[in-house]
Amino acid sequence: MIEDTDVAVVGAGPAGLSAAGEAAQHGARVILLDDNGEPGGQYFRHPPATWLWGGTSRSRSGRTRLDALLAALRAGGVDYRARATVWDFPEPSTLAIADGTRSGRIRARAIVLATGARDRAVPFPGWTLPGVVSAGGVQNLIKGMRVAPPGPALVAGNGPLLLVAAASLVRAGVRVAAVVEAADVPRRALREAGRLALAPAIAGQAAGYRVALLAAGVRMLYGHCVVAAHGSTELESVEIAPVDAGGRPARAARERIAVRTLVTGFGLAPSLELARLAGAREAREPLLGGSVLARDASLMTSVPGIFAAGDGAAIGGVAVALLEGRLAGLEAARLAGTGAARKAPADLRMRLARARLDRVRAGIARVFAPPATWRELITGETILCRCEDVRMADIEARIGEGARSATQLKHVTRFGMGRCQGRNCLAALGELLAARGLDPALPRVRPPARPILLGDLMTEDIPPPELPADPHLPRAR
Amino acid sequence: MTSIRGTHGTRLYGEAGRGQPFALLFDGEAVTAFPGETIAAALLAAGKVRLRVSRSGSPRGLYCGMGLCYECLVTVDGRANQRACMTEARPGMVVATSVAPGAAP
Repeated sequence: MIEDTDVAVVGAGPAGLSAAGEAAQHGARVILLDDNGEPGGQYFRHPPATWLWGGTSRSRSGRTRLDALLAALRAGGVDYRARATVWDFPEPSTLAIADGTRSGRIRARAIVLATGARDRAVPFPGWTLPGVVSAGGVQNLIKGMRVAPPGPALVAGNGPLLLVAAASLVRAGVRVAAVVEAADVPRRALREAGRLALAPAIAGQAAGYRVALLAAGVRMLYGHCVVAAHGSTELESVEIAPVDAGGRPARAARERIAVRTLVTGFGLAPSLELARLAGAREAREPLLGGSVLARDASLMTSVPGIFAAGDGAAIGGVAVALLEGRLAGLEAARLAGTGAARKAPADLRMRLARARLDRVRAGIARVFAPPATWRELITGETILCRCEDVRMADIEARIGEGARSATQLKHVTRFGMGRCQGRNCLAALGELLAARGLDPALPRVRPPARPILLGDLMTEDIPPPELPADPHLPRAR
Repeated sequence: MTSIRGTHGTRLYGEAGRGQPFALLFDGEAVTAFPGETIAAALLAAGKVRLRVSRSGSPRGLYCGMGLCYECLVTVDGRANQRACMTEARPGMVVATSVAPGAAP
């Protein structure tokens, strides 16, 4: 089926919910699409509604904010579709949706991409063992399913989210042996104190996590990294070591710790696949997640009619996502030509608040900027492409045979061609190729943007394309 | 180094308030699950972290927890390659470790 609407929002996390509500408030017809069964994305992930205290976050502020966002959807008559996967942009301003019996296309005057972020996947020896879980993954288990992984656990990697994950585990009763952070945070935090003071709530939150961890006896190991994870069929232990200023581990000073769960966090990266499919231009911002979307002041991407908000455009956290969602929703409604939005002036306070957060973001990012360690850690046996089991040694061999780009390597090894569609491997390959002076450009993103079923393609209502008559083809009876 | 096998995940705040538990089978073994839980959550609570074997024979389990990495693939009631973290557990489900073609189980 083909549907028409004013604004289509992709993603029902903080930015998407915010954008949908704002656009509807300014008179737009809005369709909100999300591939999860429940709204809220990762940040507002909550247990099933049927559970005791289910259907909402346990924290009061989380309950209040999510409830307010959902109330705005209802008040605005937003058409919210759960378990709907956007997989292509078959034409300008048109989305292809896989949604069971409602699969088809949506034509929208304006589109807001709020696809969120995912954990940066950084390979190291043993990272594929069962028991090695991303920080986002463990948060989803705890927040969404109220299940804690088995302990003892170790939290390792780089970035402020390590504290969040460790504090979650401690609160859940899991024994956390240590937090292993690659950056020398305490020293850098002093340097960035000026910027961090602009957002006392964030600094206070971080201090709160630290206190909780210290009270639980969790070792804080700054300037250290995980050198390898060990185990036969499951994770059994990890080796950690200090890293020097150049990010190289001092292997002689290794320590082995027995753990059942290793939570890894290396920061977040925006999920850009849909934007790439649409042809949106990217920019390099290492402090904001690496590749981010180029956007103008109204948060429109380089593709006319497509806006982007939140972590799905550039990493900024939930406060930025909520504000950007509102801004993108307002601008999308304006572009869609709804009368109310044309009269509404741009909200300068929204823009200023966002600007202030930009400086804080930069400060936090500088505190946690990682030394480049992972290429020093991997061996030939380390699997780089998890889906297709392509090891570093396979990549080395093909480069030795003349492969010069990610696309060529993909062709000869199937690197990036598995089900995750390169989400966990292509960025690392790009870094590796760039470090070798080879072409780091990623292979082109092709539809479908997510794995879908053949049945989702068999929508009867889409008219066949207009083809010129061919005398050699049999005529339809 | 002492072995620390045999531990399992924990259901936070106990099992009360989650509804009536039921059983599913994982590789022939009964595993408790509650309505609304994903297969991955129920298996984790039971200490089952090894969910599949990749094409090179390496054991895999849940990694991203949000349906993007496709590492947690299990066979559910005969349907292959279902994401355990995105599939809701149901009574009597028959779940099996998925083994990629060419790999030894």
